[in-house]
Amino acid sequence: MNQDEKLSIIKDILLTDEREFASSIEKKIKILESTVNERKNLSTKVDPIINKKLQQFIKEIPDTLGPSITEALKEEIKHSKDSVVEALFPILGQMVKRYVQHEMKLLSENINNQINKTFSFKRLFRKAKSRASGIEESDLIIQDQTNAKIEQVIIIEKGSGIVLAKYSKTKMADEDMVAGMLTAIKSFVEDAFKKEEQDLQYIEYDLYHIHLQNFSSFYIAVVVSGVYNIIYKDKLEDQILKFVNEKSVIKNLNNKTKLTTKLEAFFKNDNI
Amino acid sequence: MITSKKIVLIGHFGVGKTSLIRRFVENTFSEDYKVTIGVHISKKTIEISDNKTSVSLVIWDLEGQDDIKKTRTSYLLGTHGFIYVFDLSRPETFKNLKSELSFLSENYKNIPVKVVGNKVDLVNKAYLTQHTGTFKPLVEFFVSAKTGSRVESLFSKLARELF
Repeated sequence: MNQDEKLSIIKDILLTDEREFASSIEKKIKILESTVNERKNLSTKVDPIINKKLQQFIKEIPDTLGPSITEALKEEIKHSKDSVVEALFPILGQMVKRYVQHEMKLLSENINNQINKTFSFKRLFRKAKSRASGIEESDLIIQDQTNAKIEQVIIIEKGSGIVLAKYSKTKMADEDMVAGMLTAIKSFVEDAFKKEEQDLQYIEYDLYHIHLQNFSSFYIAVVVSGVYNIIYKDKLEDQILKFVNEKSVIKNLNNKTKLTTKLEAFFKNDNI
Repeated sequence: MITSKKIVLIGHFGVGKTSLIRRFVENTFSEDYKVTIGVHISKKTIEISDNKTSVSLVIWDLEGQDDIKKTRTSYLLGTHGFIYVFDLSRPETFKNLKSELSFLSENYKNIPVKVVGNKVDLVNKAYLTQHTGTFKPLVEFFVSAKTGSRVESLFSKLARELF
């Protein structure tokens, strides 16, 4: 036995453990190689882990990414309003159009029924007007229905809510109670949103619009039915100012009878 | 033309302000307690026999407050007469009677105030005697919204004082 063979025997004896360890590592590497290289094997191992992580991610999205996404969307919408409107318009437009069409159809049917059922001089007059003007009878009715009309005017003392004068075209709720409640609402709103010299000027209730015009010791509430728009509001404000100035309202605040007569004479013709 | 006067009822929660008004205006009473939120307004026209005139009492029923200073002052503007109501069966509703009335007389000078002990049907004479020190001379009426006792005369007397 030569020197080299002896050395080999000693190596075998001394490095048995390391050799076994190296051999086990080699086996593991081969298994890993096979797992990584063969898709099916890899999928079996990795899929459950990815699935678990994915589920967790989905659960956490609202908390983690939600605020950032919302903020980003808000910012995006803010900077490109036109694009957003453009994108939404066809959808919303269609919805609104369909709703309006439906409501118009119902209104038209109601009007036709009304025309067919009733006979009156008013109708004859409307028919004649329709022929003369070339406007459809139903359009004239719609115009009648949508014109703003003054239903009730009340002059109310500020603070106490006491009625100083009243005029009602149709019998509505008791003016004293209405005036009291309006004053209470006015007081509440003006107290709650206290800002220098600001008054409640308008209340909308069902089909009625309550226009409130303030003066130093009193205010005038006008209940309007029909379409109350900015043009009508302007005209109404002018008329009220005209009434207060021309009819010496301030001088007659303590004379309920006189003030009521003046109020009725001024507003009964709906001259707005 | 009938003159209108604003009457305001004030006092603690649950003393029976709304019940008093309901008894006076509608002559009804209900055991159900519904708390008043904000303000509720009622009206009744009565004749004042002495003057042969009619007056419309526009009655403001304010939500109850354990301290009069907490009442929204804008609701008290232009008041012609106050009715301060307390519950005879609950001493906590009249323990600060003096200071509450002082507040009214200082801030709303020359406006008549009727001080009313409600729910007299729930207490006996001995109880009233026991609290005489607190009640006299401030309390003018012991009434019962439930039975209607002296409710009419309370409002009538106040209405007469307004002329």
